[in-house]
Amino acid sequence: MAEQKTIRLKIRRQDGPDKPFRWEEFEIPYREKSNVISCLMEIQKNPVTASGKKTTPVVWECNCLEEVCGACTMNINGQGKQACSALVDQLEQPIVLEPLTKFPLVRDLMVDRQIMFDHLKTVHAWIPIDGTYNLGSGPRMPEVKRQWAYELSKCMTCGCCMEACPQVNSRSKFIGPSAISQVRLFNTHPTGEMNKHERLAPLLEEGGIADCGNSQNCVRACPKEIPLTTSLADLNRETNKFALDRWLRK
Amino acid sequence: MSTTQTSNHFLIRRVHSLLGLVPIGFFLTFHMILNLTALGGAKQYDLIIETMQGFPGIMIIELVVIFIPIAVHAIYGTYVVYTGQANVLRYNYARNWFYIIQRISGLYTVVFVVIHVYLLRFGEANFAALSHFLSQPLGLIFYVLGVLFAIFHFTNGLWAFAITWGLTVGPHSQKVWLYTLGVVFVLLSAIGLADIAAFIK
Repeated sequence: MAEQKTIRLKIRRQDGPDKPFRWEEFEIPYREKSNVISCLMEIQKNPVTASGKKTTPVVWECNCLEEVCGACTMNINGQGKQACSALVDQLEQPIVLEPLTKFPLVRDLMVDRQIMFDHLKTVHAWIPIDGTYNLGSGPRMPEVKRQWAYELSKCMTCGCCMEACPQVNSRSKFIGPSAISQVRLFNTHPTGEMNKHERLAPLLEEGGIADCGNSQNCVRACPKEIPLTTSLADLNRETNKFALDRWLRK
Repeated sequence: MSTTQTSNHFLIRRVHSLLGLVPIGFFLTFHMILNLTALGGAKQYDLIIETMQGFPGIMIIELVVIFIPIAVHAIYGTYVVYTGQANVLRYNYARNWFYIIQRISGLYTVVFVVIHVYLLRFGEANFAALSHFLSQPLGLIFYVLGVLFAIFHFTNGLWAFAITWGLTVGPHSQKVWLYTLGVVFVLLSAIGLADIAAFIK
């Protein structure tokens, strides 16, 4: 990588959901192998803009710092990414940081991704095994299935697929690719399969799988390389069978 | 939580998808192949149009097989366009461009079909009428775009159709189907442009 004396950042600031936004530029000393989080930490130590104006520290969220929790997801140079694994040496400068646009803003780069967790509740993205007595061990999962199901389990509900999806916006109720892919994960599990109707039924409603627009941005945006479009197509097949069967038995 | 609530949302979306092929896609293909008879000259073409318009119950067939399916597909499709929010500038991917062109071509085709039907079904339906329209440069551009956009919307729609109906699940089969439809697009476009060429002689 070329020698750089400083790291330049351009950050979209907003003090609250109803406050106006502003752009602030920062210039911090170059350090090798920095990521966006370490830049934000550097700004936090001395919150002064590139033009020498004192400002408030930039608000952002982070947690695991190893790209498995999804908390630090933000728009970096226009695309949703994790700030912890976004390496400065691989980014064009100034590095433009903006909050995700598909979720309610809290402050600066911090958004509320609650809706994604609500969608997981909508599609019953869990396996109900709790009861009043020991149910014993469940059926075994075939190894071949486990291998691809494991890939789906890497989802960290970060919101990159929601950010990239043109069908996720204020005019649409689409729950997005991640929740739909979780339906495939839990319906594949031999114990989860016993309740698969509870996960397929919500996908037939408004905002469900039929609202996918096949732009296939999700599979390219996913930092965990989850085959989201394969999950969507597979669940198209499953929901078609399920809907027809349910209607014929009515 | 109750899981017994049912809406017709899924059914409407699937009907919308199916209508694109049956009957609209089949009609589009048939319509363009039939119009190749215009290559045989004005007399032959006008005779065929007259014969077709003389079929008993042609109005009912037109209404049920052509008008209603296209109207439903167009009206619901316009709503689908409204529920999307394009982001090709930030996510500059080929499939994302197809997503937006699918919507633009759909809307253009609606405008095209309305004018096309108004001029030739309710107006004078003969070789001379279309020939006159196509002799104007703007009329010609309007028609060439209409034919190409309609064919694109149909063939790219078939790509999504295969996903919607759960036929092409994995990326490889989706890619093979994409290239197959690329060939279909070229073939249908050749037919469509030959139709237009027949009228500008």
